[in-house]
Amino acid sequence: MNITLRMAWRNLWRHKRRTWLTVGAMIFSNLLLVFMISLQFGSYRMMIDNTLKTYTGHLQVQHKKYNDDPKMRNSFDNIIALSKKLRTQLNNNNIAARGVAFAMTSSATRSYGLQLIGVEPEFEPNVSNLSGLIRQGHYFSDSHAQEIMIGRVLARNLDVSIGDELTLLGSGLDGSFSAGVVKVAGIFESGNNDIDRSMAQLPLGYFQSLFSMRKQGHNIAIVANSLAQVKDLLKTVSSLITERKELVVLDWDHLQPGLKQAIQADIASAWFMYAVLIVLVAFSVLNSQLMSVLERTREFGTMMALGVKPLRLGSLIISEAFIMSSLGLLIGVALGTVTAYYMSIAGFAYPGLEEMAVKFNMPDRIYPEVSLLSIFLGPGIVFMSSLLASIYPAARLFFLHPVSAMRAV
Amino acid sequence: MKYLLLSFMFSLFSSLAHATPLDMRLEARELIQRAMDHWRGLSSYSEVSMTIHRADWQRSMSMRSWTKGEKTSLVRVTKPKKDAGNGTLTKDNNMWTFAPKVNRIIKVPSSMMSQSWMGSDFSNKDISKSTDIIDQYEHKILQIKKQDGHRVYIIESIPHEDAAIVWGKEVLRIRDDFVLLEQQFWDQDNILVKTMQAREIKKLGGRMVGSIIRMGKLASPDEWTEMSIQNIRFDESFPDSLFTLSSLRNPRR
Repeated sequence: MNITLRMAWRNLWRHKRRTWLTVGAMIFSNLLLVFMISLQFGSYRMMIDNTLKTYTGHLQVQHKKYNDDPKMRNSFDNIIALSKKLRTQLNNNNIAARGVAFAMTSSATRSYGLQLIGVEPEFEPNVSNLSGLIRQGHYFSDSHAQEIMIGRVLARNLDVSIGDELTLLGSGLDGSFSAGVVKVAGIFESGNNDIDRSMAQLPLGYFQSLFSMRKQGHNIAIVANSLAQVKDLLKTVSSLITERKELVVLDWDHLQPGLKQAIQADIASAWFMYAVLIVLVAFSVLNSQLMSVLERTREFGTMMALGVKPLRLGSLIISEAFIMSSLGLLIGVALGTVTAYYMSIAGFAYPGLEEMAVKFNMPDRIYPEVSLLSIFLGPGIVFMSSLLASIYPAARLFFLHPVSAMRAV
Repeated sequence: MKYLLLSFMFSLFSSLAHATPLDMRLEARELIQRAMDHWRGLSSYSEVSMTIHRADWQRSMSMRSWTKGEKTSLVRVTKPKKDAGNGTLTKDNNMWTFAPKVNRIIKVPSSMMSQSWMGSDFSNKDISKSTDIIDQYEHKILQIKKQDGHRVYIIESIPHEDAAIVWGKEVLRIRDDFVLLEQQFWDQDNILVKTMQAREIKKLGGRMVGSIIRMGKLASPDEWTEMSIQNIRFDESFPDSLFTLSSLRNPRR
């Protein structure tokens, strides 16, 4: 061990209590940062998962005009064949084709406008969760069944229950009238009133014949094993559809631009709070280092008189700060990781979370995401700013005159 | 030559002098009322073909339509075969539609009134409430123009504060023989959204009517719907039973 470091180590333990207090502030802020940032990352992942799970998926293959102009005519051909081809080529079953249409839906007494999604009953449950949220009835028995799955709010508005008939009226792909009678097979409850009021699913085969779409459809939804794999999957899928010039693959960021913006806005406001915490810690380090330099003025004067260069004394002060910051980092990260890891298994909840979770269609517990980034991001910044804070006390030594310093009180 | 010029000046002056008192008598509101009466008659029967045009496709259908008074009408599609029998009945601002494929009559809810009528650029409201403009708007003559030997009145109609109207204002151009040449729909930010224009005026059923009428949105010039009147007869008497739900379902005419 080099002599400066050894001196720094011994200097620190000359004032045990002060050192521990300073290190304690770092440990506390690091613990808090690790936990908060892991929690934040965890809740973003949850937000993304839950928003994308109701319908969007991670990726969608669409007609290239559809995302900007979601009209019925911006569809593409042979959609079922293409989704089958993608499933075998990617060896991934989380791929399903859909059609989208708008229609007036009427029960015996009432009518509402509704967004209808034609789905492949065998594969849709792999890409979206509405089928899993069925509270009454069942999912579609077959792709050509004249059945519909509607939300609980719509069922109440239309005053229908399982087995009742609904009339659908809309326009087909060729502009002709589309009209059909379907049986209510299932009623889902997603927790999101907008979805429960305005979205419904039909089997794709029947949907295509109802809206004169032949083999056409509007999107193929693809779900990756994890969010991190979406980028690679996007590349693979676009290489597989190069011969279909009219198609594009879009990721969830393009399909749901509001989601990423909401997350970015939340990150910005959270970082404001973290910055306050980090600045406070940095000032407490600055304060205690400055104090320890001032009280050792005579000692430093003596050392300089014996021939120690100011540079060496400066690096001594910085080494002291380095040791304290390292201690704070190690202990803080260790405690923070243990807490965050425990919560990532047990889940984290606070009073009122449940009501909020229902509103945003989220589970009632948050599971923090423990990753290298979420653990070291905050403490790393605390570490750096503590070192920066010790520069000023260290720099003071360059202006010390040995003779007057030795006489200082 | 001098005489000719003088007589021309004189005739111009006299026509101007003549114009003023007539305009005073014809209030803006009355003009619109008479244009609507002229267009609808006491009752009317017409055969119309409708063309829906889009950038990459076009579609036509034929229909027959009966109107009686200001608030009652029945429209039934006759061609193409796939769509024949679909119909719409409007009565006192209520609207029902019938689809033979499912053999059902459905009342169009008010939330759907601004949706497209039969896939065209006309909204359900355009079809069912065409005479609402008289009572629910404040009218003012902006300008009187000469065009093809006719006077054309340009009228600005602004909805009453409490009227349930989505438009900021409408501007109508009405010819002195009560042919509605154009109806413009402006939104509340004073931007022209869509316009309905008579593209051909012809004598049909004993009066001058706009025989080709095109509705188009300004934002997308290659999307429009054109109604072309093949045949129209005015002031025939229809039984009230024609405008009922059972007649909508079972055509007797």
